[in-house]
Amino acid sequence: MTEILQQALNGLAIGAVYTLIALGLTVVFGILGIAHFAHGSVAMFGGYLTFVFSDRWGLPFFAAMGLAMLAGAVLGLLIERLAYRPVRDAPHINAFIIALGLTMMTEGMNLLLFGADQVVIQTPYRGVFNVAGIAIAELRVLVILTACVLIGVIALLISRTKTGKSIRAVAQNRQAAVLMGVNVNRVSLVVFAISSALGVSAGALIGALLAIAPGVGEGLAVKGFAVLILGGLGSIPGAIVGGLILGVSEAMAAGFISSAYKDVIAFLVMIVVLLFRPEGLLGKR
Amino acid sequence: MKVLNKRFVVAAMVSALGTGWGLSAFAAEKELVIGVNDALTGPGAVYGLPQSNAVQMAAEEINARGGIKAGADNYKLKVISNDDKANPTEATNSVRKLIDRDGVKYLLGFCCSGSTSAVASFIEKENVVMLVGNAAERAITAKGTPNLFRTRPPADFTGAAAGTFVGKRGAKNVAVIGSLDVSFYTQYLEAFERELAKSGGKIVAKETFGLKDRDMTPQLTKVRALNPDALLVLGYVEPAAFVYRQATELGMKLPRYGFTSGSEEQFLKVASSEQMEGVWDLRPTELTIEALDANAKTYVTNYTKKFGAAPSPSSPYAYDQVYVLKNAIEAAGNADDTKKVLAAIRTLAVPKEAVMKYLPTNGTMFDGNGQAYTSNGAFQWQKGKWIYVSDLPSDTKVYSEFLRSIRGK
Repeated sequence: MTEILQQALNGLAIGAVYTLIALGLTVVFGILGIAHFAHGSVAMFGGYLTFVFSDRWGLPFFAAMGLAMLAGAVLGLLIERLAYRPVRDAPHINAFIIALGLTMMTEGMNLLLFGADQVVIQTPYRGVFNVAGIAIAELRVLVILTACVLIGVIALLISRTKTGKSIRAVAQNRQAAVLMGVNVNRVSLVVFAISSALGVSAGALIGALLAIAPGVGEGLAVKGFAVLILGGLGSIPGAIVGGLILGVSEAMAAGFISSAYKDVIAFLVMIVVLLFRPEGLLGKR
Repeated sequence: MKVLNKRFVVAAMVSALGTGWGLSAFAAEKELVIGVNDALTGPGAVYGLPQSNAVQMAAEEINARGGIKAGADNYKLKVISNDDKANPTEATNSVRKLIDRDGVKYLLGFCCSGSTSAVASFIEKENVVMLVGNAAERAITAKGTPNLFRTRPPADFTGAAAGTFVGKRGAKNVAVIGSLDVSFYTQYLEAFERELAKSGGKIVAKETFGLKDRDMTPQLTKVRALNPDALLVLGYVEPAAFVYRQATELGMKLPRYGFTSGSEEQFLKVASSEQMEGVWDLRPTELTIEALDANAKTYVTNYTKKFGAAPSPSSPYAYDQVYVLKNAIEAAGNADDTKKVLAAIRTLAVPKEAVMKYLPTNGTMFDGNGQAYTSNGAFQWQKGKWIYVSDLPSDTKVYSEFLRSIRGK
């Protein structure tokens, strides 16, 4: 039992990062209908930036992450304005191609700016607590808590603010929202800024928990889309539940079967869920 | 007339001397291009990049001291370094380019087993000399390829000594976590397990991680539940460092042994010194100032000064390759005839400039398989440093025979 709980805790920390990635993807997809493949690379950009701010500039980890999230939001604004907006009214395939190109560009930019080396963000959170035989690493708890706080902030922003109301209106019916005077361009910009900032936070947390290196971003984007499908396209609660399920099932698979089947088992869970609920766990029919 | 004759003779002598010196200095000055094929980026770069740097440094040292004198010729070295990303396809393409396009006859570097094995599979057909560094896969020299030599001992040569050491320290149930789909780690483990069994120990778990995996907590949690006496970690520096770090995060307080050959700097990028405290690295002695002579001290000083970072423990395998080449070319008296150079390498004693502590076989640096051996050592992380604790005795003659016997099978 202790082992199962320990594995679940291990998986929750990774699942929290997947949730943040999926949350960024789901707000973009749910509201603008764009499969933003470059999201993983944007997350890596943020992770590298957090490393620079904390390791080179000496900022505390969370201050560095906050600053990187701001930079990520600006990058999100640029991506929306320069890459996606020009093709917003064009056929979907155009946005799809743009997304692929953007992924390559962002990966290339990361390589140029930060090099090809693996980066691990060092934090002072190295404590370990033992509760009934379960080892709880301080850093993992902080990762889970940070994800909870960010999810809470996003949930409040979307449900309680005027901007959030505009976002929900555009998600429900873009034409009607326009007729009601909602500035769709502004909503689109805000959504990309939020999405990229969330991605950056995931990159920073993964950099502290594990490592950032070329190629990690693509893997994160794939996991993010898996969560998106598992939880239900465009569903925020779905992204949260899906991320945690994916993280925990990966940990269970690696712990009880084999690490070689980690990804296979995780995607198997996804396929089984979709067989019974094609719209995803919390998606709308 | 007498005056004229005198002047004529003096002028003729000066002219003859001048021309002679000039000719000998000019005609004998040649450039020898040596090719480095190594992992300069990607996960293998922790080994490959320092190796490439080491070759560059050795070449510059040799050039600064006048180059390689072979017969009437004097060679200055020029190094071309290619990145194979530790990938077999990239390595094959890179070596083909070095041979076909750049006309290279001497290939150095080779940190990683997969990419090196790919090149080793076809190198016999080429008119080149291949010197392998850190790549530890046994099969690289087991075939007895006549134009291939390796400065690093194979992994199982070290694994056997490590198994004896851990057994003597009283470990009965050892859990293993490593890149067990990589053959040289499996070879290390086989030899380790065999020798551990002799002292009554056994392996209770074999958990695998991929080269790019960074979260090993699920496997470690599984291992923890088995309550082993010791943990053996077999993998590249970065994943191994994550294992050490995550083992402490899971509250595991058992002795941790490893086979990684990473520098302090490389480990500290991932784990803190407290998380590393007490970890053992059971590996070839490599670059250990306490265990080696003045050459090692000079190497560390020069490397750190030149590249702004401490050299990795395995990097002198490549540095020593350059001096093997220098001594062999000088003994052969010719750099163009690779057959003469090969013959010279086979009978070469350990060069006096070598940094590693080689154990000669029958007086020569390389045995009949083209394999060199270094002593093995037990190192422990103590207060931020790898400390050389003891030698791990190994019998090179027995191993050399064993290596040759594989070829006969």
